[in-house]
Amino acid sequence: MMPLTMARTGEKVIIRKISGNDDIRRHLATLGFVVDTMILVVSQMAGNLIVEVKGSRVALDKSMARRIFI
Amino acid sequence: MSIKIALAGNPNCGKTTLFNELTGSSQYVGNWPGVTVEKKDGLLKGHKDVIIQDLPGIYSLSPYTLEEKVARNYLVNDRPDVILNIIDGTNLERNLYLTTQLAELGIPMVLAVNMMDLVKKSGDHINLQKLSELLHCEVVEISALHGTNCRKAAELAIAQAGRTVDEHAHVFTGSVEHALAHIEESVYNMVKPELLRWYAIKIFERDEEMASQVHLSQQLHDHLEAHIKDCEKEMDDDAESIIINQRYEYITRIIDQILTRGKQLHSMTLSDKIDSVVTNRVLALPIFFIIMTLVYYISVTTIGGWATDWTNDVFFGEIVNDAATSFLASIQAPDWLSGLIVDGIIGGVGTVLGFVPQILLIFFFMSLLEDSGYMARVAFIMDRIFRRFGLSGKSFIPILVGMGCGVPAVMATRTIENERDRRMTIMLCTFIPCSAKAVIISMITSTFFPDSIFLAPAMYFLGIAVIVLSGIALKKTHLFSGDPAPFVMELPAYHIPSMKGVLIHMWERARGFIIKAGTIIFTACVIIWFFSTFNAHLEMVDIENSMMAFFGNAISWVFAPLGLGSWKGAVAVISAEMAKENAIGTLAVLNGITSDADEAVMAGIAGMFTPLAAMSYMILNLFDPPCVVAMATIAREMGDRKWAAVAILFQVAIGYSMALVTYQLGGWLFYGMPFGLGQGVAIVLCLAALYFILRPAPHDKASNETREGAAA
Repeated sequence: MMPLTMARTGEKVIIRKISGNDDIRRHLATLGFVVDTMILVVSQMAGNLIVEVKGSRVALDKSMARRIFI
Repeated sequence: MSIKIALAGNPNCGKTTLFNELTGSSQYVGNWPGVTVEKKDGLLKGHKDVIIQDLPGIYSLSPYTLEEKVARNYLVNDRPDVILNIIDGTNLERNLYLTTQLAELGIPMVLAVNMMDLVKKSGDHINLQKLSELLHCEVVEISALHGTNCRKAAELAIAQAGRTVDEHAHVFTGSVEHALAHIEESVYNMVKPELLRWYAIKIFERDEEMASQVHLSQQLHDHLEAHIKDCEKEMDDDAESIIINQRYEYITRIIDQILTRGKQLHSMTLSDKIDSVVTNRVLALPIFFIIMTLVYYISVTTIGGWATDWTNDVFFGEIVNDAATSFLASIQAPDWLSGLIVDGIIGGVGTVLGFVPQILLIFFFMSLLEDSGYMARVAFIMDRIFRRFGLSGKSFIPILVGMGCGVPAVMATRTIENERDRRMTIMLCTFIPCSAKAVIISMITSTFFPDSIFLAPAMYFLGIAVIVLSGIALKKTHLFSGDPAPFVMELPAYHIPSMKGVLIHMWERARGFIIKAGTIIFTACVIIWFFSTFNAHLEMVDIENSMMAFFGNAISWVFAPLGLGSWKGAVAVISAEMAKENAIGTLAVLNGITSDADEAVMAGIAGMFTPLAAMSYMILNLFDPPCVVAMATIAREMGDRKWAAVAILFQVAIGYSMALVTYQLGGWLFYGMPFGLGQGVAIVLCLAALYFILRPAPHDKASNETREGAAA
């Protein structure tokens, strides 16, 4: 497992684990970030990411991406 | 009896577009999530007794942001007669997640699948008939943008209103359903029957806020808790995740049955390709700056500038002015009446209205950028930078809105989850020049610095700099210390903006400006004309002997260190607090500008200010507190007098200090003023600002304070 920040642009990865406090985990879940979901890294900018998850594009900053493990 | 239809759905799924279509109103729609922050009511066109309610966009009913709480409390406590759930057909999975939760509220529901044209274009096919069977509710295909089937959706909703919901979709399975059924049995008599499932799930999820509404006895609570723990043990996960995962599993099962994909999942779309350029690590900022400079070059310097010149010189300067003058002469109007109309009204209001072409163009480009989806990316690009200054990229959206008007800007802070970040953004977002301040900028630059292309955009970048530096300094005070909340935001797909939509937005925003010119500015101009034409004995006198001169002289010492020595400047600054356009309108009236030609206004202003004083005057007006309407909004959104006072005082201090530094140091460095007390004060202010920006963050102190607080 590694944090999502390590993924490369264009890579398809599967979420293995999400850490962080309940509020943030819940919010990520409502946006479609749940374990076993496949996501596509669309763009990367100094650790901040745009990913495709469950059909929509979501922008995440580094601190958020670090909580998602792939 | 009237029927209430609530429009619910994910952010940016087209609720407000549908709302406008159904009610015939023109609420503001934007291509980014979180435009609707408050519930809005409207009557269905042609029905006096059907109320349509536009709720803020939400991803779920577990509240994360303030707007989600607004929507959830409304749905649970006030209970509309029927929910019209709008679903973005291009993104079924995520949208149905909310649908599964809405279905648990026991309110009849109709599903409107929006953006079906895009679904078809992408080659996908959705079996709506099947979806309707699986979810036990009516499903209709609509296109809110083109107005297709919107009426039908509303009629279906009306037909469903008030019906009792007896069938539930089978979302949960196995031991989870078992545990939920057990909870339902235990609390059966304690909640409204239609909300039984809702509360059962909330108790299972340990949603404290909702569970507390059930008033469980300690014994029952412990008993249920044991059941939940058993279930958690069996599923090897916490209760909340179990619920979330089963919801998604259920949705996946539905999607497998209804969706035939035309294209491969997870492929790079055109949107993604654009994103890989405009959010590129190297290109993102240069692209943004080029776009913004271009927008202001076109709308302020060139085309907008020409149009404003024509409006001022020809339209108001010759046509309106000549017509008014000859009409007044023909009816032999008394001097005071022609003075009021020509000097007071045409002079003041006309000067402000002259900027309408520029305002229209700025709003046109802003709407274009928003509609295309680019503005949401800007928030993402800016997050990287803003984070260093203790703000998140989400603070950038209010700032962008603030370029139009400070009032919606302050409202737009509601999408910021973290209370501290939100307060700080409220305090800072009005530092970006709004459309009214744009009038000040273009008047001062075209009068005193006509050759500079960069001064006007520079004021916007200065606004951003003030926000950023204030952010750094404020983060180091104990009021705001702490990291900004992490940034997560859905990015809408790019699309070619519809000309109709862009023009509607442009007009919506510009209308506010024009209405203000007709009301507040009109009144202010008349009042100022009155006080500057008469003395205390109501005799018409020279302006220098008027009541206004008396007031102005009494307070002008406050503004003397800023270079606004004359009483006219002092009056204009105070009057600009009513509406920022007055900063120019008042000067026009006070200088007795009758012709209203641009040159005349310029000559009048040029006569009372040196270029340096004009710069100081502009900076004071840009960075002191916004107009009264915006200040009232700040007070309301802060929800606390102390915080409102902090915000306004901070803005007074920043505006005054910046103008003082500009005038005193600018004069000393570039205009040969001797070094004196003013320069000394200015340097002290600069050093103080540097200290607050550069000092190390005393975060230990903050944590000590909380510890002491806890101990006490």
